[in-house]
Amino acid sequence: MNRRSNLAFVAALAIALGGPLTLFAAPATQNASAAKKSPAKPAAESPAAPQVSLAVISVDGVNDIDPTKAFGSKNAPVVMEVFSDFQCPACKQLFTQTTQRVTDNYVNSNKVFIVHRDFPLPMHAYSRIAASYSRAAAHIGRCEAVEQALFQNQEKWEVTGDVKGTVAAALSPADMKKVQALVDSRVLEPLIEKDKQIGQMVPVNQTPTSIIHTKDGQSYPVVGFVSFDVLKTLLDQLTK
Amino acid sequence: MMESAPFNFRRLIIWLGRLLLGGILIYAGFAKMIRWDMHPRPPLGIARSLFALQIDSYQMLPPWASIQVATWLPWAEIALGLLLLVGWRLRIWSTLVTLIVGGFFLAVLRAYFLHLDINCGCFAKPEPLTIWTVLRDGALFLLALFMTIFVFQQSRRPHPWSAPEKSSA
Repeated sequence: MNRRSNLAFVAALAIALGGPLTLFAAPATQNASAAKKSPAKPAAESPAAPQVSLAVISVDGVNDIDPTKAFGSKNAPVVMEVFSDFQCPACKQLFTQTTQRVTDNYVNSNKVFIVHRDFPLPMHAYSRIAASYSRAAAHIGRCEAVEQALFQNQEKWEVTGDVKGTVAAALSPADMKKVQALVDSRVLEPLIEKDKQIGQMVPVNQTPTSIIHTKDGQSYPVVGFVSFDVLKTLLDQLTK
Repeated sequence: MMESAPFNFRRLIIWLGRLLLGGILIYAGFAKMIRWDMHPRPPLGIARSLFALQIDSYQMLPPWASIQVATWLPWAEIALGLLLLVGWRLRIWSTLVTLIVGGFFLAVLRAYFLHLDINCGCFAKPEPLTIWTVLRDGALFLLALFMTIFVFQQSRRPHPWSAPEKSSA
């Protein structure tokens, strides 16, 4: 009898304490899972967030390519990935002296498919925000104009920090409004993170780093700034 | 009567330089052409272009010169390595090796102090340029330099085997 009453008391105590605890615990677990999920789509659920596609493509075994930051024919014999940081001087040199000529001579003639990867280095204060503006501009079809403006005015904005002003000068007010909305919504940040992760897996130890992929699965890393005339000797052999 | 050549510090450095630098040069020359680090191995033309890109990243030479150096340097390294090992006309070839290794050292030193984020390219495979690369190239340059100095000094002295025998009278 005594044992039974003890058991009944323990059961009653367990229900009395456990019940409210489960009520508190359930929302806490839900919140935790919601918190875990939230970074994956930061502001996409916000009503003000612009609708964009985060779809990525694969070309010749090169995965997770943001199509808005890739140019040329997907059937090109060579895929060239360029990992760069907008605040890095050698990246500016590569973009202005080499990449643009590669675009003119190989990408536009469907010989090379070029992929611009963001690899903002933590040591550069404004390279991440510059990557965000560039990515946003790419998603409204103004990638080239904004990349050109950012690289050509690198010495100015890396001192003042005025990345927004540099981008605004290269776009119409209507386009800038769209770009700003995308940057503010942070909806494209996962794509930049993805590029960084891919770079870390390569591994990219310094910027710029270019990886040249061929149809037969061979990859050739090219580290640092290289002049177009020397790169041309390699591309001519790989694209003939 | 012939006596064996005395084994002293100078001769040790000469032998060490010949064996070490000769071996390294032959290895470096083949590594640039064959690219053992890549699978599948690229054809010679592509290996040459990849080496030209590594030379170009030092930003010391115009593009045409980078391509020419990439074409001829691996062959020159193999030939000089063999000549050092053989030991024929050692004064000429050790001087040339010292100039080449000195050139490598200066290029690496310049890139290091200019903070150029590049690969060394010394043995073709991707190898970040660090203080250890600078020290290694510096040590090889010193070895080449002392080897050459000692080769010239030794050549002024008659070799015990070829020296005229002292007359006993």
